[in-house]
Amino acid sequence: MKKEKIILSAKDVEIQFSLRGDLLTAIRGCSLDLYEGETLAIVGESGSGKSVFTKSFLGMLDQNGSVTGGSILFEGEDIALLKSEKDWRRIRGGKIAMVMQDPMTSLNPLKRIGQQVEESILLHQQLSPAEARKEALHMLELVGIPDAARRFNQYPHEFSGGMRQRVVIAIAVACRPRILICDEPTTALDVTIQAQILALIRDLQKKFGMTIIYITHDLGVVANVAERVAVMYAGQIIEIGAAEEIFYDPRHPYSWALLGALPQLGVKGEKLPTIEGTPPNLFNRITGDAFAPRNRQALQIDYKVEPPYFEVTSTHKAKTWLLDPRAPRVEQPDSIKRLSGRMTVDYGSDTRHPHEDPNRETLIEVRGMQVTFGTGRKKFVAVDDVSFEIYRGETFALVGESGSGKTTIGRAITRINPISAGEILYKGQRISGRISKELDHQVIKGCQMIFQDPLASLNERAKVDYIVSEGIRNLHMYRDEDERQEMVRKALCEVGLLPEFASRFPHEFSGGQRQRIGIARALVMKPEFIVADEPISALDVSIRAQVLNLLNELKATYGLTYLFIAHDLSVVRFIADRIAVIYKGRIVELSEAEELFRHPLHPYTRALLSAIPEPDPAVERNKRLVVYDPSVHDYTEEKPVWCEILPGHFVYGNAAELESYRAALQA
Amino acid sequence: MTDSIQTMFDEMPDQGGRIYSTDALEQMTGDSEENLFSFAEYHPEEAERTGYSDYSYWKSVWRIFLKKKFAVAMVILFLAVFIFSFVALAIGKYQYDNLVPDNRQMFISPNREYWFGTDNIGRDYWCQVWYATQTSIKLAAIVALGECVVGVVLGCLWGYVRKLDRFFTEIYNILYSVPTIIYMTLIALMIGRSFWIMCITLILFHWIYMAKNVRNLVFMYRDREYNLASRCLGTRLGTILSRNILPYLISVIILRLALSIPSTIGYETTLSYLGLGLDVNTPSLGILLRNSRAYFLDYPYLLIFPAAIVSIVTVAFYLAGNAFSDAADPRNHV
Repeated sequence: MKKEKIILSAKDVEIQFSLRGDLLTAIRGCSLDLYEGETLAIVGESGSGKSVFTKSFLGMLDQNGSVTGGSILFEGEDIALLKSEKDWRRIRGGKIAMVMQDPMTSLNPLKRIGQQVEESILLHQQLSPAEARKEALHMLELVGIPDAARRFNQYPHEFSGGMRQRVVIAIAVACRPRILICDEPTTALDVTIQAQILALIRDLQKKFGMTIIYITHDLGVVANVAERVAVMYAGQIIEIGAAEEIFYDPRHPYSWALLGALPQLGVKGEKLPTIEGTPPNLFNRITGDAFAPRNRQALQIDYKVEPPYFEVTSTHKAKTWLLDPRAPRVEQPDSIKRLSGRMTVDYGSDTRHPHEDPNRETLIEVRGMQVTFGTGRKKFVAVDDVSFEIYRGETFALVGESGSGKTTIGRAITRINPISAGEILYKGQRISGRISKELDHQVIKGCQMIFQDPLASLNERAKVDYIVSEGIRNLHMYRDEDERQEMVRKALCEVGLLPEFASRFPHEFSGGQRQRIGIARALVMKPEFIVADEPISALDVSIRAQVLNLLNELKATYGLTYLFIAHDLSVVRFIADRIAVIYKGRIVELSEAEELFRHPLHPYTRALLSAIPEPDPAVERNKRLVVYDPSVHDYTEEKPVWCEILPGHFVYGNAAELESYRAALQA
Repeated sequence: MTDSIQTMFDEMPDQGGRIYSTDALEQMTGDSEENLFSFAEYHPEEAERTGYSDYSYWKSVWRIFLKKKFAVAMVILFLAVFIFSFVALAIGKYQYDNLVPDNRQMFISPNREYWFGTDNIGRDYWCQVWYATQTSIKLAAIVALGECVVGVVLGCLWGYVRKLDRFFTEIYNILYSVPTIIYMTLIALMIGRSFWIMCITLILFHWIYMAKNVRNLVFMYRDREYNLASRCLGTRLGTILSRNILPYLISVIILRLALSIPSTIGYETTLSYLGLGLDVNTPSLGILLRNSRAYFLDYPYLLIFPAAIVSIVTVAFYLAGNAFSDAADPRNHV
């Protein structure tokens, strides 16, 4: 590797926050050299300190936090010593800039877009207002805002999420910073938009020669953008190296676990490797390796002495005792070997074809369903003319971007949202509209739901005991108090929680545990059918695998049927038997999982597939992005139909399109 | 400048890369190398155990409220006034029930016999003031509680049941747009004036503000996922409101309750002063103020004593209520 210039160097940085009178050490001696012009990705779970660490480069720590140790050298100055806002303003924006996660809140809603870009140019570059205006327009064009001259005078609410993020990037880049910190810049965006934003940032980096720090929890994004990767855990960088080294030859057990837990690397039908437990409490002093209590192969020494960095290559360092020559040899797990190509993944082994099974039983049937919100002129059709069947024992996935109506469909089936046309059948009986009390109880027992947000889906002011037994209480499904408690205990054990948790309040649990409480709440009803509404998208990578495994286990034990709602095709590939792709309230393609991945027909499905971030740098760097343009469909003359183009493979299109799909299938 | 950084790093080629020798390690841990580099036992339950944070909502509320010394002082001040109103009646030289008008004793300034002086018809003012204090506080407490019960129940329905929204909004518009004084005048003239009429009319016109407040909050919580989950589980409306939503509103309800006490006392005083509130023979602070209206320029003590008590009670409650609302906001618990 050529000797590169170090642009910023953090050494033994320690950052502490004071919370309720206690000291929390968020960053515990973190060192990092940033080379000029590189793209470094920092990966870690929430709470690992990745945001806090980089915010300290900009002096943007929250009021109650401060750098309490170490140094951050930038342009020959230790910026960790800067105190006043005035000093920081020299650095912030002009030298080091930041792009935040949520484009919805990072723009001023009362100012025109152009003005906001102009403002940052005027602040950091010595230009006249007229020149600044020209420059702002140029920047907007550069970040790919179409018709920039007109949109210059628009307000943020007239922009979509992806477009807003482009504007935020324009503002950050307009000051020509040397370092650009992107803090989860695409987490709030849809997959297809995410891919475009990533490509944009890469372009801009080439154009302006910026150094970029990327903070993300998504290893797919990391593989796409990063040259170097740093893995953070409990306030320390535990492994750092070139992207290839981290993905193909990781050395720290935590990196293994993080990569191994990705559903993309899992084998369908097998358990994903998981990381149990939660990251350590940073209020406490940590001795030894912080990851040890969650590491199945921890050494005695891991509990006693903090491991030093061991060099694997000149660019690759890992902080684990496993690299010590005295340590026993531990094999990398299989999923890592699969990734580095030493083992091949055989997706073709999945030969189950549910559509060929003549005995399958239809559990849920949706016919011509339409859901509308609002009334009169403000009426909005969220779901239009959707029909599908869900068979007993399968996992049926519904995939689409935000606002496509997938959650609405799930909620219509559990009767939270009323439908305005069509009908829903459960075991052949109509359950939409007015139904008898008896059937109502039957549906409540039979169909349950798991929610997306583990924070919002539990009543904070009720004990776990109450939350879990809410359903059985309503339908009087127990004889006496003892039986009720027994049922709660059993449900908690089933989802891998301790029975004593029943007497606690939800706020004492981590996200993954809370999600499992939500599953226990549904499970205690002994349902046949569960709507899982993005059950893992709000969870950390390491916890996702736990929940996916649990869902699969329960399916096997109780013969459950799932409607799995997701925006992420990679997860769906791992868990689903059949997949329906939904776009703007309409299902555009439905097929068995592997068939869909092998022969995507609808252009939207293809765009979605091409945008999936794969945790493999080699794949990510050579990938070609397909962009979906709804105007390719010309439905003015021929009306589109819902057609079974192959047995079990449905697609939405008009005659001409179907013809071309058939031709594509032949080829 | 960057060169200086460069040289710094040349001096430290492997930063942090201390490799401990076996001896050093054994010395640090008091354990043998063999042992140190053997696998430790893995305890899955250990990994599952949570950081038991021991946070409790009400404990935090009290902790923060008690930190606000001024507010606590205000609460103590109010309690002192309230308790003293009983003590004062007991130690006073005259009983309220046995007061008789006496022309010879008119307008006596406070002295050893008449601690607060006498009024325009020669009755002891001390016992009147403290008796009136009790009446006013009693009225305020009844009205505040009544408003609270009616307002919370109807507010919850208003917020949760979409179909009722229009109905309640129209009621709100009517009650809000016509000044209370007009209703009160009509009621005073048509039905009469008494303690209980006053209570009921105040509750009747003021519950809507509590209800509006509650409704806005219910609106916020109604479509949270945990409520959707309850609906999926077939939980009845009443249970959802009382178990899922009400606990989140308690701090706001208590705040409004605390603030409605001073505002009711203020209302009562204003209305009685205008002759629309209680009837003249029911002693309340408002009535005393009204009675003193004609004489206070010559005999200011007639105004000062009841006015001081009204001020103390309202200001104390207002400040304490505000402090409590701060303490009850979970965002301040960090």
